[in-house]
Amino acid sequence: MSASRSRLLAGALTLTTALLASACSGTGGGEASQADGNTITFMTKLFGTAPSPQGELHQAIEKFLGKKISVTWVPNAEYQEKTNVTLASGNIPDVMVVDPKSPAFGKAAEAGAFWDLTEKIKQYPNLVGDPKVLLNSSVNGKVYGPYRIRPLLRSAVMIRKDWLKKVGLEAPKTTDDLYEVAKAFTEKDPDGDGKKDTYGLILPKWPGTSFAASSPFNTMDVWFGAPNNWGERDGKLVPEFDTPEFFEANRFMKKMIDEGLVNPDWNTLDTAKWMDPFVQDKGGIIIDVDVRTTQLLDLLKEQDPQTYGDKVLTVGNLARPDGKKFSFPGSGYLDILAVSKQRVRTEAQLDELLKTLDKLAGKEGQILLANGIEGRNFKVENNEAVLINQDDPKVKQLQDDVDKAFIQLGTQASTGATGIAYLRVPPEEPYRKDLAERKERVAEDLKTAVFDPSLPVVSPTVVAKGATLNPIVTDARIKYLAGQITEEQLKAEIKRWYDSGGTQIAQEINDLVSKLGQ
Amino acid sequence: MATDLATPPVKAVKATGHRPGRARALWRYRWLYLMIIPGLAYFLIFKYVPMRGLQIAFQDFVPFLGYNGSQWVGFKHFEDLFTGPDFGRLMYNTLFLALLNIVFVFPAPIIVALMLNELRINVLKRSVQSLIYIPHFLSWTIVASLTYILFSVDYGVLAGWIHEILGGQKIDYVAQPEWFRPIIILQTLWKTTGWTTIIYLAALAGVNHEQYEAARMDGAGRWRQLWHVTLPAIRPTIVVMAILMSGNLLDMSFEQIWLMTNNLNRGTADVFDTFTYYVGINQGAYSYATAVGLFKGVAGVLLIFGSNWLAKRLGQRGLF
Amino acid sequence: MSVNQYRSPGSRVFDAVNIAVLTGLGLITLVPLLYVLAGSFASESEISSRTFFLWPEKFVTSTYEYIFATDVFIRALLTTVVVTLVGTVVQLALTLTMAYPLAKRYLPGRALMLNLVIFTVVFSGGIIPTYLVVRDLGMLNSYWALILPLAINPFYLIIVKSFFQELPEALEEAARIDGCTEMGVFFKIVLPLSKPIIATFSLFYAVGIWNDYMSPLLYIDDSSKWTLQVLVRQLTGADAQNALSALETVFFPTQGLKFAVVVIATLPILLFYPFLQKHFVKGVLIGSVKE
Repeated sequence: MSASRSRLLAGALTLTTALLASACSGTGGGEASQADGNTITFMTKLFGTAPSPQGELHQAIEKFLGKKISVTWVPNAEYQEKTNVTLASGNIPDVMVVDPKSPAFGKAAEAGAFWDLTEKIKQYPNLVGDPKVLLNSSVNGKVYGPYRIRPLLRSAVMIRKDWLKKVGLEAPKTTDDLYEVAKAFTEKDPDGDGKKDTYGLILPKWPGTSFAASSPFNTMDVWFGAPNNWGERDGKLVPEFDTPEFFEANRFMKKMIDEGLVNPDWNTLDTAKWMDPFVQDKGGIIIDVDVRTTQLLDLLKEQDPQTYGDKVLTVGNLARPDGKKFSFPGSGYLDILAVSKQRVRTEAQLDELLKTLDKLAGKEGQILLANGIEGRNFKVENNEAVLINQDDPKVKQLQDDVDKAFIQLGTQASTGATGIAYLRVPPEEPYRKDLAERKERVAEDLKTAVFDPSLPVVSPTVVAKGATLNPIVTDARIKYLAGQITEEQLKAEIKRWYDSGGTQIAQEINDLVSKLGQ
Repeated sequence: MATDLATPPVKAVKATGHRPGRARALWRYRWLYLMIIPGLAYFLIFKYVPMRGLQIAFQDFVPFLGYNGSQWVGFKHFEDLFTGPDFGRLMYNTLFLALLNIVFVFPAPIIVALMLNELRINVLKRSVQSLIYIPHFLSWTIVASLTYILFSVDYGVLAGWIHEILGGQKIDYVAQPEWFRPIIILQTLWKTTGWTTIIYLAALAGVNHEQYEAARMDGAGRWRQLWHVTLPAIRPTIVVMAILMSGNLLDMSFEQIWLMTNNLNRGTADVFDTFTYYVGINQGAYSYATAVGLFKGVAGVLLIFGSNWLAKRLGQRGLF
Repeated sequence: MSVNQYRSPGSRVFDAVNIAVLTGLGLITLVPLLYVLAGSFASESEISSRTFFLWPEKFVTSTYEYIFATDVFIRALLTTVVVTLVGTVVQLALTLTMAYPLAKRYLPGRALMLNLVIFTVVFSGGIIPTYLVVRDLGMLNSYWALILPLAINPFYLIIVKSFFQELPEALEEAARIDGCTEMGVFFKIVLPLSKPIIATFSLFYAVGIWNDYMSPLLYIDDSSKWTLQVLVRQLTGADAQNALSALETVFFPTQGLKFAVVVIATLPILLFYPFLQKHFVKGVLIGSVKE
């Protein structure tokens, strides 16, 4: 390269740098628009197509609140990505639906992006909800917003009712019964095709990498008396997998797997295909959330509208062999409505906003979000909602806006948990029956629910090392169940977890929980 | 080559030399520079300005705080990466897949393009050409579910046939670590081969007919025509594709691998891209992910310049 | 095509094998699409109960009725078509005009600029920094945000550049002697000679815009401006971590619906290719040129 050319290059480089520098002036933050008292901006999840701001429901909500609302609808699958970008954008909406336990939110909250509402929320009865659930949704006791209610307990066992009749067994009450049913489903040709082509229990692939995954494996751990994620043993909190009951539960599962009572692809079956074997007459038991019953009924009804009601039996949590029963509950919430400090700047603005949110969280507001407009898309009978006018395309649109969008802003009424809104009763008998039984079942199981005491706390070590630590025990457990490692090796992996940072996590969880003063 | 012969302007610049020469070169090539400006502006604005984001590799970046508000931590994330318990495994898995990509995925479209080029039945040729790029449009989610339909130990169609023919123990292809890499490579081949073939077909469209005539006059059979006419014609394209690929050698398709990972094969399946994702989800650590990106970028630069140098040593034109 | 008159036995065997292999390749790419197509017309219980099929037992059009019940999909489809058409033209123009000067080995500063381009193949600032640039340019909620941030793919640029390098310089020289400026040479000589690559990369850019779901998701908050892929992604995206997430809503995208949106999102762009295919005919590029 000649001297002149390299100097030319140097010149071009300088120009480039200058351009870069001039284009680099503004960083991060940016000037955020301030909240004006008349419009509230939201960001929440969307499951279908986005409602139009001119839509009937949108208008009705604005009329009810006496304020304009502007909602950024984000497809559920990409919510995390969009949340990260929004946090960086300097354009955080007034109210944002977030997972309070996600590290991304935790770090932003710590940096002052959101209002700490621990004290303030107490002045708004509609926003507080159940104090125990509110605590669960907090970050180490700090409340960042009202939670979105979910059923506190929804674990259940769904069984092929017709198969049960065929093999002549009763509905299972204990894990031993479950084993017997699974064995009979596998060996006694419940589908009656003369071939041994069925299995009892359908287990799906482990979701994600975290150990506490609300999977059927976790549910069975709890049935055998293991803690729900964390639990007290000898005055100290220990993880689910460091208890004799955990190993008891695993031996039970391994026995079923070894004897071929479980679907052979149990460690790869996609959760989206979980119901397929049940409908295909291949498997007969699913341990999952109770609303799965509705999905199963839908599929079976399409197959045979006459008999579908006789094909699903849903029972509650099962007792362990000695008859003691422990039930597996959830956290009672999914995500919170966090309030941004970027747009809502002053205490006065905050009070104004919370007042509006409180109004929305009242009965009338929650009915709008979770049921729709009375007399338009539903009517009330016996204090229950019955859908009407669904043939009218406009009403159908309204119904869609409720089910796929606005219900995601509900706090005291939401998907699966009617809360203070009306229970929507399906027209067909099998569904009605399921709903009625569900109520009793849940009330009964809640008596023996084993709650996770660590729900309100976030361990810093998990945030720092989770990607490395989380899969250790999860993978080891599945490998043990698959027969690839022995119980001794599983114990060695648990020890490795402790040595790689687990000891510290246990210490932090114990400290943080005791600080909550429970 | 033609271009090398017709470059008198360079000599002119060199002869006149220094300052006036530069100005004159600018003037002389004003049209060319003018044409370059929009593209160059694009690269500066949309590629280089965002690169200031790379600084977060040396920070504990919190999106809300921005570049200026986040804390500087020096090389902490790089230390975490290189000394972490997962690094060796991630490196091994990534390199292994990269190697398989070079051996199987890279040549596939070249072979298919050449085969299509030899196909005499025009209707078939056109149909196959329009079909093989379909998989490019199907997302990895669909590819994964098709894989299960074929290979599941419970209901896999292909796995069932293989079992019937070979007998013995049923093999759980999608769960076992030793089958992970073959399945990933098969998926990649299926999804990408047809698409990349298009580039080589375009290159082949440029082959001079007269050259074939001449080769045939010399009595060359099909193999020799292929070897002496067709291949040399697309060699520059192959070289460019190879060099470009080397720059992204350590990049794996995150979604593809993530969808095929399970508790039994994780040890084999984890690559930098998936691990970074877990770190992001479990730890909200942007800085760590950026550090991994920087590390891969440095490796990519070395590979791309290295292979360019190698191409030139081998008498090819290279990228630049 | 009379490429070869004499055919040896080896040549015939090769032809037979070649035909068989390529037909096989065509089939294994076609069959899955047929499955998706069949699934989009099948009932939900059939999809759950049969592992694989190419013809539904009972034809059901409810998925398509659902999709076209509102104008959301049609609007998204129109938006996508317009953005794709405009975007392809813009992106192609930027790529071609930049690639041509870069193909001139004698151009001072070329090496630096090439290095700048190649650098971006391996390094990128990432999602958040790019978002901030788009925001600062005031392009949020604008369709330009779907076109400009991805305007030039460095990969394609370099390939186009090397195509240009292979063009016979003698022709351009002749044009220059006739008094053409570089711009004139580019438009009158180079572009007409480059139909195959223009066809190729218009397809590549068009498909790139068509398939992009991340840009609209990040840059477009106004859901009435969403493109087709956002809707597709929403219905077919990999389910989140949680086993329970699928039951997070009363609305549960059925398998049939997933198949139907894939069909709707794939067919229009698939139809694009045959129109371009005629440009892939042998001899367009250099066959017409006498050296």
